[in-house]
This record gives sequence, C-alpha cells and structure tokens, in this order.
Amino acid sequence: MDLIFLAELSVNGALTGLLYSLFAIGLVLVYKSSSVPNLAQGGLTMLGAYVVLAFSIQLGLPLWLAIPIAVVLMFFVGLGIERVALRRLAGRPIVMILMMTLGLDIFIRGSTLAVWGGTSRPMGLGISYDPFFLGPLLLSRVNMVGAAVSIALFIAFLFFFRSRLGIRLRAISDDYTASWSVGISVERGVGLSWALACVVAVATGVIWGEIQGVDQSLSLLLLKGLTVAVLGGLDSIIGAIVAGILLGVIENVGSAYLDPLVGGGSRELLVAIVLIVTVMVRPHGLFGRHDIERV
Amino acid sequence: MTSTADMDTTGDPILVLNSIEVLYDSVLLAIKGVSLEVPRGGMVALLGANGAGKSTTLKAISGLLKAERGKVSRGEITFDGQIIGDLLPQDRVKLGICHVIEGRRVFEHLTPDENLEAAAPISMSRQKIKSEKERIYEYFPRLAERKSAEAGYLSGGEQQMLAIGRALMTQPRLLMLDEPSLGLAPFLVAEIFDIIQKINREQGLSVLLVEQNAVAALRIVSQGYLIENGRVVMHDTAAALKANSDIQEFYLGGGEGKNFHEIKHYRRRKRWLT
Amino acid sequence: MFYRQAGIRHRSYVSENKLFPIPADRNILWFLLALGVLAPFLIDSLYLNSYILPWLIWSAAALGLNLVTGWAGQLHLGYAAVMAVGAYSAVHAARFGVPWEFALLIAGFSSALIGSVFAFAAMRVKGLYLALTTLAMQFVMDWVLSHVPAITGGSHASLQAPTFKLLGQPITSDAGLYYVAFGWCVLVTIFILNMRRTGLGRALVAVREKDYAAAILGVNSFYYKIIAFATSSFIGGISGAILVATFFFLASPEQFSVTVSIQVLAMVIVGGLASIIGSYFGVALILLMPGIANSLFTLLADFSGLQFSPETLAHIPNAVYGALIVIFLMVEPLGLGKIYSNIRDYLLVWPFDQIKK
Repeated sequence: MDLIFLAELSVNGALTGLLYSLFAIGLVLVYKSSSVPNLAQGGLTMLGAYVVLAFSIQLGLPLWLAIPIAVVLMFFVGLGIERVALRRLAGRPIVMILMMTLGLDIFIRGSTLAVWGGTSRPMGLGISYDPFFLGPLLLSRVNMVGAAVSIALFIAFLFFFRSRLGIRLRAISDDYTASWSVGISVERGVGLSWALACVVAVATGVIWGEIQGVDQSLSLLLLKGLTVAVLGGLDSIIGAIVAGILLGVIENVGSAYLDPLVGGGSRELLVAIVLIVTVMVRPHGLFGRHDIERV
Repeated sequence: MTSTADMDTTGDPILVLNSIEVLYDSVLLAIKGVSLEVPRGGMVALLGANGAGKSTTLKAISGLLKAERGKVSRGEITFDGQIIGDLLPQDRVKLGICHVIEGRRVFEHLTPDENLEAAAPISMSRQKIKSEKERIYEYFPRLAERKSAEAGYLSGGEQQMLAIGRALMTQPRLLMLDEPSLGLAPFLVAEIFDIIQKINREQGLSVLLVEQNAVAALRIVSQGYLIENGRVVMHDTAAALKANSDIQEFYLGGGEGKNFHEIKHYRRRKRWLT
Repeated sequence: MFYRQAGIRHRSYVSENKLFPIPADRNILWFLLALGVLAPFLIDSLYLNSYILPWLIWSAAALGLNLVTGWAGQLHLGYAAVMAVGAYSAVHAARFGVPWEFALLIAGFSSALIGSVFAFAAMRVKGLYLALTTLAMQFVMDWVLSHVPAITGGSHASLQAPTFKLLGQPITSDAGLYYVAFGWCVLVTIFILNMRRTGLGRALVAVREKDYAAAILGVNSFYYKIIAFATSSFIGGISGAILVATFFFLASPEQFSVTVSIQVLAMVIVGGLASIIGSYFGVALILLMPGIANSLFTLLADFSGLQFSPETLAHIPNAVYGALIVIFLMVEPLGLGKIYSNIRDYLLVWPFDQIKK
C-alpha cells in the first residue's frame, strides 16, 4: 500500500475522529461536572438535528436563524433533564444513574422518531461536496468544517473549566455533599452541564446530519463517542480531542487493512476493541484523573 | 444538675434550636428533641458517643439532611433571629452558616487553591478572593506550601485544614465543625484546635464543635452539651463539665473508677433527665 | 393485615430461618404455584404462549442478571451476548443430534465459560467502567454473530431450532411448551431463594457492598466475582436456549443485540435490585407495557378521530418503554420490589402506624 494512500487515510481518519470528539465533548462535559455518565447524548444529538430541521424545513426559517433557536431550545431541554430526571437520583448508586440516562436515550429517540418520522433528511448546510485537495491528499470539506467547530468548542470549554464557574462544576463532580456544605448549588451546576451538553448535541447533530443525513443512525454515534471519551479520560477535554484523532486514524487505517480480510464492517469491531483494551489497560484514559480510593 | 447561673448569657444567641426532631426516610427518628443555643461569638461543643445524633443535629442546621432523605419533622431552628427550617443549604451558607462535614471531604481532584476558590461566594470580587485566600494561608501556613498539589494527595491534617479554610472562604458567622480531630495525631489535633480558637477570638466567629475527643474539645469551648440517644442530657460550662464525675467516667476516661452498681445508678439518673 | 405477625413464635433457629417465616407468604406462594400449574386450563392458549411464556423465561433470565448485578453488585451490559452463546450452542448441538436435555446443559456451560470472560473485566474495574467494558464486549459479540456465518449463517440469516424434545418425547403442544418455561422459571427461583441464605449469597452481598472490605474479612472477592458471573451466565445461557426452543423457534442475531442487553438490565432495575419478586414485576412491566400502551394509543386515536401516521405508531412503544424506565427510576429508584415490600411492611403492622425505631 503506498504512502500517499496511507497519509490520506490517516488525515481523513483524523478529521472524522475530530467529529467523534465533538460528540465525546458532550459526554465529558457532563461527567466532568457531575460524575454522571451521559449515555443519552446519542438521543440528544438526534433530537438536536431534528429540532434544527423542524425550524428550517417545517417553519421555513433560514439555517442561520434555525440553529441558534435550536441551541436555545436545547439548552432548556438540558436544564429540564436535570430537573426532572436526575435531581432525585443524586447520591444513588451508579447503576441507577446509568439506567436513567439509558432510559432517557430510549425515550428521546422513540419520541423524536414518533414526532418526525424515521426517513432520512438532508441538513442542507450548503457546504460543497467537491473534494478539497491538500497537495496530493483528497479531503472532505464537511469534515474540515466539523473539525474546525470541534476545535473551537474544545478551546472554549478549556477556558470555561479554568473559570470560577468551571471550578465550581469540577468541585461538584468531586463531592456533592461537600459542595452543598460550602454553598455551591449542585442542582444548578449539574443542570448547566446538561444544558451545555445539549448545545454541543446541536452542533454534533448539524455537522453529522450534513455528512450522513438526519435520521436515527445519528444516535449510533454513542459507541464511538463513548470510546473516544474513555480513551481520552472521561473528565478530560484535551483527552477527547486527542483520543478522537487517535480513534479516527486507528479506525480508518485499520479497517482499510482489515475489511478485505473479514468481508467488511470491521469499524465497529475495532472501536469496541479499543474500548475494551483502554478500560483493561488504563481505565482513566490518556489524560483522565485517577480516582483516589481510600480504604 | 444544670446550672446556668455562671454561663455567658449576655446578648441574644446567634443560633437557637428549639426541641427539633429529625426523621430519616420518614420512619427513622434519629433526633428526639434537641434544644441548644450558641451565643454570638461563643464556642460551644456538642459531645456524645457514636450514633448519639451529633452529626444529624449539625446536618439539620446546615440543611444537608435533605441529601440523605432526612427532614426536620418538629421544632424550629433560628439563626440570627430568622427561622431557617425551609431554606436550601446554599441559602443557609449565604446567611452565614458553614458546616465542615465529617471526614475532611475536600475536592480531591482540585488543588487547595481551587478548593478555596470553589467555596467563594459568586458575588465576591477577584481582589477579595485573593485577599481572603491569603488570610486563610496565614492561618494555615502548611497549606500555602502545597497550594498547587492535588488535594487528594494531601495528608490527613492538611486536608482537615483545607476543609476548615474552605469553609472560612464562605464568610461564615457560624462555623460548625464535625469531628475535626478524626484520625489525626494528637499534636495535629492540638494545632488545629488552637487555630480554631484563634479564628474565634480574632474574627468573633461563633463556633459549634462536634467532638468525640471530649478532652480536646472542652479545653477550647466555653460550654458544652451532652447528647445521648438523640436527646440533650446535660448542658453546662466547660469547666463544670470537666469537673462532673459522670462525664469524667464516660467521656474523659478519667474518674476514680466507678463500680458497676454506680454505672447502673447513673443510667437510671439519666433516664430521669431525658 | 393478611400478614399478621401476631401469634408466630419461633422456638428454634431453624424455624426462624425458614424461607418464609410468615405463613401468609408461604400460602401466597403455594397459591401462585398452583395457579402456574393450572394456567394452561385457565388461560387462553394464545395469551399463554405469547405473553405468559416469554414472561416466565425472561423472568428466569432477569433473575440470572439480578444475581450478578443485584446481589454481587457487578454492572453487566452484555447479558444478551451471554444468552446468545447459550442459544446458539444449544441450537447447534440439537441440530447435530445431541438430545435437548444435554443441549441445554451445553448451553449453560458454554455461556458460563464466556460469561467468566466478563468476570475478568470485573477484576480489573468496577462501576461505570465495568458497564462500559461489558457493553463493548456485547458489541464484539454482535459483530461476531453478524459476521461469522459458521455460527449464525450470515448477517440476516436465522437458524431453525429443531423440535424441542424431552426424554425423547417431542413437545409441541402449547401447554407442553408452557410447562417447560414454567419448570425452568421455578427452578431458577428456588435456586435464588436459597442462595440468599447460604454462605455464597452472603459473600456476594459482601463483595457488592465493599469488595476490599470483604477481602479483608477473608472473602475472596475475585473468586466470588467469577462465581457470580459464571452462575448468572449459566442461567442466562439456558434461558436463552429455552427462549429459542419454545418461543422464537429460530435463532437470529437481533434477538440478542445490545438493545436486548439494555432491556434485561431495565427489567432488573425497574423490578428492583436484589429482589426476586421484583424481577417478575419488572419483566412484566417492560415486556408487556409498551404493547399495552400501543393498543391504548390506537384505541384513543380511534375514539378521538385523530389520525396518526403508521410511523408514529411504530415508534410509540419505544418512547413508552424509555418513559417507563425514567418514570420508575424517578418515583421509586429501588424498583417495584421495594414498592411491594413497602406495602407488605405496612400490612404487617396494620392497623398501627409505622414502627418507630
């Protein structure tokens, strides 16, 4: 296999990987500020894309208006999720919280499809499908836009978690009771993190909807996003970016070599294996925090 | 038994508990009528054995009960003339009640600096945060040395200091400490208690101290309450408590070594008191 | 009320440690058992085989998962994969000519073997990370099932299960199939009931509460984690095999996909962790409610004259299923089993108020 081909696979893989990072940021945000695994991000991403479409197609608004409206709407959806579903579960065992987010995911997916139907629709951002040539490398323009959005959000959140508000959110994720004891309103903090995750979900939904159409397959990004988040460390924004690139390259290059051997479809297998290996070898991921356990 | 004659009762108290009852999970009665007062600027200790209801009393005051599905089912809590029974924990902190919870629960993945910053009220300006942090580092010079290490890796004593310092960041008028001596070496206990006393004197901060280590606690407080089985069974000045032979027998580990008959006698007397 | 404790005096430890120290519990159980035996004569065979039979088999499977998640406290999001191993090995064995009795045993042991692999993940990590690893293992199994034709006959193929036979007698009647499921379910229930009061049950609970504390007390937590995973997988494997043999009649990969894993976990949690009766309730709710909700919705649409697109109607069961999970976790995170025991506790002291401690 020649070097140019390998380079092209890697660069395109990295670009796609950054789009996984975009998804993973939604998970990391919630985990970093409440220690809750957000397994509903798949459903939220789908909902975000459908809400944008509802404004742009059904109400005929231009996209530059539909997207901000969807962002605001989803922000409140996030606040609502904390208020309705998670507030009562604070302090309960992880299995219940995990199940709650899975239940939310199923509910959001089911009701989104019940309202808008399952046929695939184009997002219609108007990004040209002509390939972009970087020297001899063939790149996708949509992926490049997505990667740029991903990096922009990454930088924004990096600063956010250094701010006073961000420190408070990190404190909440460490210890709910201690946070209450010094006057941090845990509920509002957790609500904010879900609201931000929902905003990220809109961005993810728009970009991925542009790439593959808006339908229920958007929620299947969960496995890849989860793998990226775990590989990078569940509470690390930098980790999400680095791991996204890494996973994208592994997946793209690996499947190019493996697919002919196993008859296609080796991407999911590779992702699942990366997830297993990460948890077995380095559970806290590349950049994640060590949990300090006292006997 | 209780002599209030020589106690400091000048001015109105900052905190008054009027026969409160606490119910966990709507079935388990953990506190059966506790009344106590903390004088403004005073130091009061709440003593008692394991499971007597000391921590629950503090949680009732700070509002942390709700995190454990408990609630105050009877009686009222008055802070600075205001009834605070229905307020959220964060609103009580705003009023000036800060609770240093048991077991030095610092934010492990944050640095001491960030721990202090997380506790600062939202309205506090940047300069004020900076000066407050410096003030706290003055009280606890050990913390200043390690202010950018991860708090989870600090030693037990340093974590306790950080927990107290973090509470001071909230600008409290009443500081409640739950077993600050837990699991610490005696010299560290002495050091921390000295600092608490110093803060009390210099800032006029009222302190409610829950302790099992009655010897150390009675050294710094002016009066103490003894709690057993969810009820206050004794209230007196620190000096009087120290001199009380029952207290010596059961909480100070001293005494002249009573025989079993007299212990039974004490138990019977206690039933009278409750 | 029905559960009077008054007048029950235990005169020996043995009698106090009986499975059901309160006679009312015992009587109710005998009644339910009789009802189970007589069910084919009482219930229309259409309902019997399309609702009661899968309910019983899924209850057995859920009890198996409850063993590892509820009692031993190990999160498991790959239970369907384990059931798939059992189902496919039993079907292959039966097609090869192995009698079904042995095919079921093969199913149990091969599942226990694969299930123990999950236990190795549990040795390294716990909680959320264990859930994610088992989830990833489930995805690997999904992939294997859809990409290895030797097992499944290809991605969209399904494998016909040979006629179910016990002791050489083919079982084809509705009542016969029902009794197979009923017998298995009773067997699993008796096993779990007794496990709770043995050393194994107590060790599992110790591992759940704090594994290193258990280790300090001399409970080998690694050993018990493997036991828990292997036993639960054994139950899951046979349940999967019986499900294919008596209900689906053919095995296909989507019967054991990741959504099924989530569904079984939902059954366990909605029912209540470490609650036997709860598992039955949870399965009933998760299995039957979406269908009932859909019929209600259709009925409502007919009455109100509103038109719903077929697509809407197709997705409503899913939305209801998700909503059920969310609502139950909101209302009673400890599940239906806890609601049951609250009612029971209330009746125990009726007409008095709650016991004050």
